[in-house]
Amino acid sequence: MGIEFERVNYQYTGIDEKGYLALADVNLSIEKTGEFVALIGETGSGKTTLAQHMNALLTPSEGRVRIFGLKISKETVKGGKLRLNPIRQQVGLVFQFPEYQLFEETVEKDIAFGPKNFGVSDAEAKERAKKAIRSVGLDESYLERSPFNLSGGEKKRVSIAGILAMEPDVLILDEPTSGLDPLGRNGLLEVFSRIHRELDKSVVIITHDMNTVYEYANRVLVMREGLLVYDGDPLKLFSRRNVENWNLNMPDVLKLQRELEERFSLTLNTWPRSRGELLKALEEVLS
Amino acid sequence: MRNIVIGRYVPGSGFLYRLDPRAKLLALIILIVAAFLIDSFLHMAVALAVVLLLLLAGRISVKRVYLGLRPIVFLLIFTFIFQVLFNRQGELLFELPLHFTLLSVPVLVLAVFFWGFTKKFIRFRLIYFIALIVGIFALLHYIDQGIMFWNPTFAVFDEGLQTAFFIMLRLIIIVTLSTILTITTKPTDLNLGLEHILKPLKIFRLNTEEIAMIIAISLRYIPTLLDEANKIMLAQASRGVDFKEGNLKEKVMQVVSLLVPMFIISFQRSDDLANAMEARSFVPGRNRTRLHVLTWRALDTACLLIVGLFFMAALSTRWL
Repeated sequence: MGIEFERVNYQYTGIDEKGYLALADVNLSIEKTGEFVALIGETGSGKTTLAQHMNALLTPSEGRVRIFGLKISKETVKGGKLRLNPIRQQVGLVFQFPEYQLFEETVEKDIAFGPKNFGVSDAEAKERAKKAIRSVGLDESYLERSPFNLSGGEKKRVSIAGILAMEPDVLILDEPTSGLDPLGRNGLLEVFSRIHRELDKSVVIITHDMNTVYEYANRVLVMREGLLVYDGDPLKLFSRRNVENWNLNMPDVLKLQRELEERFSLTLNTWPRSRGELLKALEEVLS
Repeated sequence: MRNIVIGRYVPGSGFLYRLDPRAKLLALIILIVAAFLIDSFLHMAVALAVVLLLLLAGRISVKRVYLGLRPIVFLLIFTFIFQVLFNRQGELLFELPLHFTLLSVPVLVLAVFFWGFTKKFIRFRLIYFIALIVGIFALLHYIDQGIMFWNPTFAVFDEGLQTAFFIMLRLIIIVTLSTILTITTKPTDLNLGLEHILKPLKIFRLNTEEIAMIIAISLRYIPTLLDEANKIMLAQASRGVDFKEGNLKEKVMQVVSLLVPMFIISFQRSDDLANAMEARSFVPGRNRTRLHVLTWRALDTACLLIVGLFFMAALSTRWL
């Protein structure tokens, strides 16, 4: 019982009377544990809108979302009696430009802000802040600094730490690695992957990077003009012919494999996830 | 928050879009002054009809302008109530002695609490609120037992009612006219128009181009900053900020968590904008040529003449 979407439509009411349909008839179910979901699609395809439904920041215009058994729909939210706040602790959402949410005097206070809002004691929140700052690859000396004197990448890490410190059951990340250097990006992805592996929590990550999708995800969702057009195995996605139709790139490893296959007229009947695996497959074929 | 239309340009066609911004600005000023000159029901009705006609002729959706009026409804009600309460001129229309006593005040407080608790379960909240107001008056009038603190009389006078009504209508006219201007005029055109209108102030050594630029930029950034505020509210809600609930201390924290990022974003945006302007060789105070030069056409003259006629008519109601 995790997050379930049932025939969800979402319409942005704009200044013109028509409005804009950002989600159209989305059906989807994400388990509480064990999933590493990559959410991909062009800009404006509805990825962020979908993510914001997952912790009840947005309410569907039609249809309903069930988050850990709590039914979110226009009717249930309307009265204002539904307590949405606990959901935000259970489902942690990292925004696309999380650095704008920083506001406290020190990094430590800012990371502790989320946990404290959910009733965690001061001492415990500080303890969590220490743990969180280390897990995003910064050392504890950062805790005493002002969040506004950090570089862009550091700000991003601190704000992600702010969500991690809330210890959510499901983690949703809206393009967490945009604007980071390759080394920093891989480091952060390892953090998310570890949370997924070691704590067995589900992670949903919005990304434009096909390598991330291919290497880490065990499930991929493709959004296109508000429709959920693909939901399944990343391997099958990249084996499909219509990858080009959806404006997706091939992951580097697969590109390399294809190149090798063409140049040396080989056929490798594998789907290597990393360069190491590709190398192993090559060795097997050559020996 | 996305529905706020103040200062927003909405593309469209119609003669209002083709008018010179200078003509539109002048017409706006003249019409606003005219709205303050007239003071009878008939003339007010005529003025409202003219505004409505303008909306229809310009093919602007009345619904959109009504949405623009919504944020000022509170202001309208507030001024109306104050005028009715404190303007005690003319003939007495209605009188109701009120008793604030040792008994009626606690009953009043109880009634408000009762309303606060039960309003969640009532479907027609506006009607319920009106019922509360009427109920409060009834309570204060009929319960006169106990020690009296204060014994005012609620009275409505015909002139008070009339002025209150007029002020409300004038505000509606002014806001509607200004909304028409911003809906039909591109920010850049508005900027140009303002620059021309403000030119006479140059004799006081005011840098009118800069003033016009400042006004145009602030108008332009209202919707952008609202969007940003919305985003930050969502981001903080994800961190457990419940903007609907909380005691005073928590409320302060909520506001701080919104305001600090807003300040930073505004400074950052203005810095970016300044850099972008400089990168395009903008030098404050330097004479610049224009890509689009404003052209005054016969339509503009005709428009100003008609507006001038309205003004003369309004003036004549006052002194003839």
